[in-house]
Amino acid sequence: MRKRLALTVLGLLGSTSAAAQSNSATTRTMTVDATVPRSCTVGAPTLQPSGQVNFKGLNGSSLQIDQLVDPTTLSTNAASIEVHFEAICNLPHRLKIETQNNGLWQVQERGLSRPSGFANAIPYRARLDWSNDVLQLNADARVRRIAESSLLVSESRLGDLRLRLDIDAGSTNVQTNAPIIAGSYGDTLRIFLEPQQ
Amino acid sequence: MRFKSLALGVAGLLALPATASAQSTTATAGPFPVTGNVPALCSGGTLTGGNTSFDLGVLINTATGLLRSDLAAAPKVLTGAFCTSRSRISISATPLQSVTDTAAPGSGFSRSVNYTASAAGWTTNPAQFATASGSNPAASQDRGTAFQGDITVSIGSFSTAGGDTLRLIADPSYQGTVTVTLAVAN
Repeated sequence: MRKRLALTVLGLLGSTSAAAQSNSATTRTMTVDATVPRSCTVGAPTLQPSGQVNFKGLNGSSLQIDQLVDPTTLSTNAASIEVHFEAICNLPHRLKIETQNNGLWQVQERGLSRPSGFANAIPYRARLDWSNDVLQLNADARVRRIAESSLLVSESRLGDLRLRLDIDAGSTNVQTNAPIIAGSYGDTLRIFLEPQQ
Repeated sequence: MRFKSLALGVAGLLALPATASAQSTTATAGPFPVTGNVPALCSGGTLTGGNTSFDLGVLINTATGLLRSDLAAAPKVLTGAFCTSRSRISISATPLQSVTDTAAPGSGFSRSVNYTASAAGWTTNPAQFATASGSNPAASQDRGTAFQGDITVSIGSFSTAGGDTLRLIADPSYQGTVTVTLAVAN
């Protein structure tokens, strides 16, 4: 009985010793949690003087052509301009450019019909450079309508979004070098940076 | 508690043979040494605050895309921690990283935020771990005596991995971990 008792006591002490080993260290783990929302931003335009031909410049967000018509031919004068926007998208996104009129059209049309031989709209080309991606929109002025072009960018990106507009000499919505009906001409361009769904 | 019940059991069992021997001749048994020990152990206590998360919310200034300069999270407190012997408190942490989008970020972007985690209240100098640092000698601190008390775990000094001019990529879940270990020191 004594022997068994002694063994029992030793056994109990042994198990106590094992418990001490398992509790000799204790660990608590906590997580740190946060989120970063999807975001695309486009800053204010800045004019690039080196790319400016026959434009008065940038007034707010308006680009005004200096001499739209060549006084000799009464057709279109060449013009070009380049503006940059500081832009950021922190996820894959879509770049889109949209023209309201698909060309420079008379702001206020005076008659329903266009006199034969005269032009009442001026085509132009828009080009967006976004890092190594190029997005082009040919506003051909054939039909007054909304036109757009877009491309998908599969990465987050930041930098200068570069917009260039080019109007060719003599380009009209009828034949080349057609005289242009007097009036004010304009179009509205919109640039979109949209998170991909 | 376990040692106490063991001592009572020994006494009860010894009483029976001792009484039976007294009827014939005098005899003694024993002494029977009753021994025990108090193991060296540590308990990490109970975490207050209802959950185990440091919730930082939105990491960026949404106007600039850069890491917010006012990031903060309420400390966590481990209440009732104790060690019955000399001990060592250690802390380690992993950077906050995007969980959903694990691809390498594009130029100008980062998907990781570094910070410093600290555990204070146990030792004179808090145990500290900076996730940006390759070496963290202050991450383990020793205490020479048994102790019980609260341990306050905090995070701070946030910075964007790769430089604070980098933007963070969008992700609904950025996550890191902070681990505090309380151990018997040799």
